[in-house]
Amino acid sequence: MRYVVTVAGREMEVVVDESGMTVDGVRVAAHLEGDHQTAAGTGVGAILTIDGRQHRLVARPGDGGRGSYDLQLDGRRLAVEALDERTRAIRAHAKAAAPTGAAPVVAPMPGLIVRVGVAVGDQVEAGQAVLVMEAMKMENELRAPGAGTVKAILVQPGVAVERGAVLVTFEAES
Amino acid sequence: MHSAVSAKKPTAPATRSIRRVLIANRGEIAVRIARACRELGIESVAVYSAADAGAPHVRAADRSVLIGPALASQSYLRGDHLIEVAKQLEADAIHPGYGFLSEREWFARAVREAGLIWIGPPAEAIAAMGSKTAARTLAIAAGTPVVPGTTEALRDATQAAELAAQFGYPVLLKAAAGGGGKGMRVVRAPAEIAGALESAKREAQNAFGDDAVYIEKYIEGPRHVEIQILADAHGTCVAVGERECSIQRRHQKMIEEAPSVAVSPELRKRMGDAAVAAAKAAGYVNAGTCEFLLDAHGDFYFLEMNTRIQVEHPVTELVTGLDLVQWQLRIAAGEQLPFTQAPEPRGWAIECRITSEDPAHGFLPSTGRITALHLPSGPGIRWDGGIEVGTTVGLSYDPMLAKLIVHAPTREAAIARMRHALQELVIEGVETSCEFHLRMMDDPEYQRGAVDIQWLEAKLPALLGAPAPEETVRAAAVGAVLLAERDRQGRARQVGNGGAKGAARSAAADAPGAASSEERGWARLAREESLRRR
Repeated sequence: MRYVVTVAGREMEVVVDESGMTVDGVRVAAHLEGDHQTAAGTGVGAILTIDGRQHRLVARPGDGGRGSYDLQLDGRRLAVEALDERTRAIRAHAKAAAPTGAAPVVAPMPGLIVRVGVAVGDQVEAGQAVLVMEAMKMENELRAPGAGTVKAILVQPGVAVERGAVLVTFEAES
Repeated sequence: MHSAVSAKKPTAPATRSIRRVLIANRGEIAVRIARACRELGIESVAVYSAADAGAPHVRAADRSVLIGPALASQSYLRGDHLIEVAKQLEADAIHPGYGFLSEREWFARAVREAGLIWIGPPAEAIAAMGSKTAARTLAIAAGTPVVPGTTEALRDATQAAELAAQFGYPVLLKAAAGGGGKGMRVVRAPAEIAGALESAKREAQNAFGDDAVYIEKYIEGPRHVEIQILADAHGTCVAVGERECSIQRRHQKMIEEAPSVAVSPELRKRMGDAAVAAAKAAGYVNAGTCEFLLDAHGDFYFLEMNTRIQVEHPVTELVTGLDLVQWQLRIAAGEQLPFTQAPEPRGWAIECRITSEDPAHGFLPSTGRITALHLPSGPGIRWDGGIEVGTTVGLSYDPMLAKLIVHAPTREAAIARMRHALQELVIEGVETSCEFHLRMMDDPEYQRGAVDIQWLEAKLPALLGAPAPEETVRAAAVGAVLLAERDRQGRARQVGNGGAKGAARSAAADAPGAASSEERGWARLAREESLRRR
């Protein structure tokens, strides 16, 4: 089985067959022991051994569905996606078919909208502060995930929102 | 130093007048206080909101009482109700911890007037020190150096702009009733001052119910060094060393140490004397902390006095051998301090505040249920925690989950110890600040101690943006593929067995459903596949 792995902004090719594993063409001896999925009250991780060297690993399913994992490895958190060729092809196909549009600003936690810093029609850059929300008595700036034009503002100051609520939508720059 | 503390023991029992303490707090500090009570043979009463039913601090105590809904203003902040509960349960003292009602003069007074012992300074000392404006006035009178600024709340933006021009930019706007960085703004140019004042006032109003804000000269590049004091009711007031708290984000302390790399024995003595002078001027009794800015020339400026136990008190405990929370109880019970001078710090202690904030996403608060928890252990490692498996972390309270504290002979050894403790620590269910702390321990500038209170803000993007070590990235790729293979084989097995249910059923020999359940397994997989494709 041939996998394309995306981690920390990089892509690596990992091949697994009867004779073992290669990473970008280099053969490695690797195995995983212990419970790799933590559930309530159980497991503090697995031992991942690569070429004799042990790493502490805790894994949980990631946001990206099959093949996506959030790993805690040697104290670091890493979002990793390991897709076999077939799944990867299906995903690419689905993505191409989906309508394109800029990602909206979504409430990352429940809280109160304090300020909205943009108006409909404003051009924003990726990372630009769009609004301020208050949670845990601290004000947090929420930023535009990409460049675009403000299409709609769905909240106003003083409004309480739930986690995941769509706050501001954009038209992608063409 | 240990013998000095216990030397007093044979005389009148220190804690005779305190038999039962109501702990008016939650989380790790409530657990810490309950433990101190237990060690002194004092009973403890926990109070909890509906959101904290069964919380670690509830189970740490001997008794517990539900005091209201999750909202702090209807539970932990209801001083009148807490006093009522204390009397009902025949507690004879109240320990406020930090935050909540700990620095409210009216509450300290009400506790005393109800005939209960307040485990903290007298209400008058809180009044003298509790407001930063009042504390400045007092410090100036006591001859303690302060940063140039006003001692009265700002009237409006015009006055703020006039004073800022007089001190020279940058200036700092600060909530008079504040703490924890709330209601604070640095202003670097005249154009920003009106907006900054407005938002500082709003935040102060929301956090403290008081929108008074004052202004001061902003000294760039200083360290935050604070002096812990202990004062008994018999006139003994002792400085027990400094804590270095310069690693701050948005004026919130993230990492604290004792001692400070910037403090020599001579400077420790001078700062200690200044802190004792300020505390004595306020008629201070019990544990307290004087916060100073320390500049590169060794000049220090009094900032404020925290009239309570501090979050970061463990680092002082580890290098002095004193149990500060026990001393709070013993002093409140009328015991005399058995020493007039604190020992020089022994070894080095570092504390990391473990919060439910996600450093990978701008430290946004994270909520959820703790599903797995593995704590580091071994020599010199201390965990003061308020979470367990099953704890729900919500948005009602402060995001601090626990404090991880290490002690080692040298600073270098303490950093190495903290590093491996952080690698052992596993918290699943919410995002935490752990990786931030690990990156800090690996940072060469931090390792040299070359920091000031602005250092972290400037450093954060590089610190958090730096890629993980190559070996870790490769290991993650290998791990993910092994997981994917395992999942794939698991799915194949599920197909073969028709899933767990099917397996159970086929285990019963001759079960008529065995063959059809296998078919159902295939059918389910096909259905799942088709759903995923859409």
